[in-house]
Amino acid sequence: MNPDTQVYKRDIIIETTAKVMVPLILVFGMYVMIGTDGTGGGFQGGCILAGAFILYVTVFGTEEGRVKMPESWNALFTSFGLYLYDGSGQLALIFGLGTAQFLNYSAVWPVANVVGIAGARGNLVAFMVSIGIALTVMAAFVSQFFDLAWKEEEEMEAGEEA
Amino acid sequence: MKLTSLMGLIVVLLLLAMFVYIVEDVPPFGEYNSPVNKYIKLPISVDADGLVASLDAGVLPAEIKNEIERIGFNKENYYPTLEEGNYEIKEPEGVFAVDSGVGWDVLIHEGEIYFNQPVKYYFIKEENGKLTVYRYNWPVRIIEFTEEETATIDSVTSGLADYRGYDTMFEETVIFSGAISVIMLLRRRGRL
Repeated sequence: MNPDTQVYKRDIIIETTAKVMVPLILVFGMYVMIGTDGTGGGFQGGCILAGAFILYVTVFGTEEGRVKMPESWNALFTSFGLYLYDGSGQLALIFGLGTAQFLNYSAVWPVANVVGIAGARGNLVAFMVSIGIALTVMAAFVSQFFDLAWKEEEEMEAGEEA
Repeated sequence: MKLTSLMGLIVVLLLLAMFVYIVEDVPPFGEYNSPVNKYIKLPISVDADGLVASLDAGVLPAEIKNEIERIGFNKENYYPTLEEGNYEIKEPEGVFAVDSGVGWDVLIHEGEIYFNQPVKYYFIKEENGKLTVYRYNWPVRIIEFTEEETATIDSVTSGLADYRGYDTMFEETVIFSGAISVIMLLRRRGRL
């Protein structure tokens, strides 16, 4: 194995393309993430958001990619997305005044008084449920990508030492 | 020709025949009036003479009601009852009302707290002097009422995140558990 081929080489075309594309992919992912006014949904939007970060890490390496997506934010997003979804159900439980209305968004009367019962369901699905799913999916995919990349790097380093 | 290749050819032909046999029943994409997407036929068949006038007047005949309750759609199995005042009988209308004029929709108040409106439940059709009873599929409600009930254009999103919220919540939990498992299995210490 020739060690020169393993060294990280800068490529100006790939780096510029990635720098231009990553914000655009993030904006498109956020558009797809909120699925009530068009097509899409949380799972697809989260996959696209994760794709932007994976592109960045692929181009710039794990060290610089870890700066853009730190471990603390990653761990926060993984659990906070799930908590957003469960929290929307618990909002309905709290504002339903003790009736069994878990995940029945019609019962959230502070929102329903403003935008109507149907609007409350739509807005909670758009801004709590979909964003929660997207955050969890994005953080899970990025975390798994980092784990696999580190494992590969460590195996390569161990192989070079031996 | 070898025996194994002959047997492989026979198996492939059998699979092809099975595929054709199955695909014949699959409705074309987007055709919501096909029986698989719209309703399921129940094993109920009652003589039509004398009952049509009762159905036109908006009263469900006792024969049909007894048959429906006999095959399991009754109070013991937590289905809504067909008592007087709990249902309405109408001409079919809405997105699915293609075969209007030959049948009657039975709409039932299910007693929900919000959006307590009559929901399409049974469809009674007159065929060859017999009355046949169909049961509407549950996506009918999502397709017809999604914009009115959830202020959402996309019925897929409302069906996934609103009507079937528990399903999606635990799907997300599965993804969360997968991420945690990969962290526990693959991550080395000191590489945070």
